[in-house]
Amino acid sequence: MKVKDVPQEDPFVQPDRDVSLCGRLFAVDDDGKYQEVPSKGWSPRNDAVRFAWNNWGEKAGKVREKVLAGKYSPLAFHMARVRMTSGMLAAYTGFSRRQINKFCKPKNFASLDSGALSRLAEALYMSVEELISID
Amino acid sequence: MEINFEHGHGAHCESAVVRNLLNFYGVRLSEPMVLGLGAGIFFCHLPFFKVNGYAMTSFRYISGRIFSDVTKTLGIEYRKHSFKDPDEAMAKLDEVLLSGTPVGLRVGVYNLTYFPKEYRVHFNGHNLCVIGKEGDDYIISDPIGQNKNKLSSADLKKVRFAQGALPPKGSMYYITSMEHYKPLDTGMIEKSIIKTCYNMTHIPLPMFGAKGIAYLARRMRKWEKLFGKREAALNLAQIIRMLEEIGTGGAGFRFMYAAFLQEASVLLNRPALNQFSMDLTAVGDLWRDFSYNAARFFKQREPEGLTYNDLAVKLEVISARELDIFKRLENSIKRG
Repeated sequence: MKVKDVPQEDPFVQPDRDVSLCGRLFAVDDDGKYQEVPSKGWSPRNDAVRFAWNNWGEKAGKVREKVLAGKYSPLAFHMARVRMTSGMLAAYTGFSRRQINKFCKPKNFASLDSGALSRLAEALYMSVEELISID
Repeated sequence: MEINFEHGHGAHCESAVVRNLLNFYGVRLSEPMVLGLGAGIFFCHLPFFKVNGYAMTSFRYISGRIFSDVTKTLGIEYRKHSFKDPDEAMAKLDEVLLSGTPVGLRVGVYNLTYFPKEYRVHFNGHNLCVIGKEGDDYIISDPIGQNKNKLSSADLKKVRFAQGALPPKGSMYYITSMEHYKPLDTGMIEKSIIKTCYNMTHIPLPMFGAKGIAYLARRMRKWEKLFGKREAALNLAQIIRMLEEIGTGGAGFRFMYAAFLQEASVLLNRPALNQFSMDLTAVGDLWRDFSYNAARFFKQREPEGLTYNDLAVKLEVISARELDIFKRLENSIKRG
């Protein structure tokens, strides 16, 4: 790659402006020497990131519909929302993976006590009230 | 308190953290040199090992190896810790920090609040450096950012104990002594190049090294049949992310390693290495071309005149060329 070809297009919105996240590419200048060049973004990469991001949103939306239809518990939606698998939530909470999968069913979720609910809520960084609703 | 630490922006998180740490102790190396000494360039595609729900594709060696390899090569002594108990991990961090030592941490990306939301995936291989504490906030030098930043201790605890594939378990590393420091010499560079060539050409499993790229190509041909159109495109997106997302210096470290070879050609006084550098640059350009074409799958579900087969052919070309480069490179170093 040549220095003049280093892409500077289409950066993402950054939550913390002071940090100013930025890529850095290595490119060859006219004399054939490598230079470091900061790069704001490249559209193929950003397309891949956005595509994956939108897909997660759509998946969570589908799970939400199923929760409304009474097939899954709200826990399933919140897991999809923060993109956690049952294995990951199991590691965070100390429940087994099988237990987490069970809690994704409305019947088992309704019978959870407050201690178990707060453990789940804590791992998902939300309050118990938020955990049992799907807004 | 804040340690007088020079924050430097870098291309790759781990090599830049190591560079900044070494710089603090008065050892000035460039980032490509750190990557090269740590034998950081690699390829593997593991369909049975899932990260974020997709097959793991990696363009670098295991996270943490660059630090240990570079420090061992230079005769620098270091300590590494990992913990079960988060409070113990934070207490140890404070203890080391108060003694005036900058500490490198491996963290998960998902809860790093200063990352754009699109980038925050459950990926546990990010490295940053803690260089001070003010009240409840830690001062962080994250080489991906152009400036230093702050993170509350609650947030830092979250990212240090992220779960998922390869959990960091609060792992931290720091340099303890420079007593037996040996300055960079030609033998070290030659040894690291040979090690890299071994990783890229000699591992007797199809998923690793340059032939792993051809393995990925074979898998890619089956994706549509195995997963359907949408999931196939998502698998492809995962590979482009690993290849190009902030932190590789372009084309999955290929450009950065080429920069290392160029630097080495001057230090070792071997003009032949510069030719290898240019060859690897050409391969890097092929990777960029691959990404550019792959991106069409994310805009249209079925791009005209492009199939997974075409992408696989591109990968096979790349595989053959990388295999050739690293084999020739090994021969040229060994023959002297």
